[in-house]
Amino acid sequence: MPAPALSPTAPDHPAQPQRPPTPLGLLRLFVGVALVGIGGGLPAHTRRALAARGWLSDAAFAEAFTLAQLTPGPNAVNLAAMIGAHLCGPRGAALAVVGILTPGLIAMLAASVVTLGLPGGLPPTLQSALRGAACAALGVMLTAAVPVVKVALGVRGGAVLAGATFVALAALKLDLLPVLAVVVAAGLTLNRPRSGE
Amino acid sequence: MTADAWDILLTFTRLGLVSFGGANLPEIERVLVEHKGWITPQLLANGFALGQVMPGPNMLAMTHYGFAAGGWWGALAATAGFYGPTALLSAAAMLAWQRLSRWRWLPPLRSALLPFGAGVLLAGALVLARSSLHSWPAALMAVAAFVLLQRTRVNPAVVVLGAAGLGAVLGL
Repeated sequence: MPAPALSPTAPDHPAQPQRPPTPLGLLRLFVGVALVGIGGGLPAHTRRALAARGWLSDAAFAEAFTLAQLTPGPNAVNLAAMIGAHLCGPRGAALAVVGILTPGLIAMLAASVVTLGLPGGLPPTLQSALRGAACAALGVMLTAAVPVVKVALGVRGGAVLAGATFVALAALKLDLLPVLAVVVAAGLTLNRPRSGE
Repeated sequence: MTADAWDILLTFTRLGLVSFGGANLPEIERVLVEHKGWITPQLLANGFALGQVMPGPNMLAMTHYGFAAGGWWGALAATAGFYGPTALLSAAAMLAWQRLSRWRWLPPLRSALLPFGAGVLLAGALVLARSSLHSWPAALMAVAAFVLLQRTRVNPAVVVLGAAGLGAVLGL
């Protein structure tokens, strides 16, 4: 049974599914997304895979993507859960999440056994390699942070609130939840819906 | 050291639920390194680096941390705890989206969460920098990786693997 359309404007998308998605089809799709997604960019790969099968319009994808950023947790996995739920209900959500996690889970377990199971710890060369990889990973993380910071600076009070969050967490090492409560309350006050809008 | 799988499950569930836009490295460091003592700062950085070259979401580092804390069961408990509840929440939010999308407080909520997410990301970068950058070559490599990724469309996994090779050669 097809899920209800994501938005009232959905009828304008012409892409008819060649075959309607099944939970197992979603499992396969997301295993594929995980395998091509080494190094990140999972949302982009997800969008491409769905478009190729005609399962989801771009507008519906954009809505799901926005929502995935608002819910806590890793965006790519949230997105898989949302698209799975949208296309195939709870079973679709469950298999989409299993699909996107399984390849990496197997690979990471293997890497953990190798790097953590060695008697006497990591050999120096391997530890040096991991140190190098960690430096590049920091670069990757900063690249991912750039668009988020840019958008955040465009929001009313964004620079002050982002700076306050950074100082509270990084320098003062405060508890996250109180910081979240204060920053979000301040942000809501600054951006509250005005009457007449 | 082997931690209780149930304790790991609950701890990682909480870490998942307080992550916005990715992983919350400052909180991960505070809880796993400082409070629980399950991992060292070095292992935090190692796991994060390994996550970059794994297929799928980068924060599979959680599986690595769970393995360090409690072996096989720890790895599974950490993965299930970190990804399960947030995925459940996302699926539920998707099914409620149509009503939410007309809610007048949704744009303000987004505007309020964005700066918070940016602050968390920057604090996370600092956590990672403190545990990874112990020398000038290391700092130079991080800057080079950042510039390379910003200027070109090269795959991040390639950059990370290249840096691993360079790190092994330099004996970082």
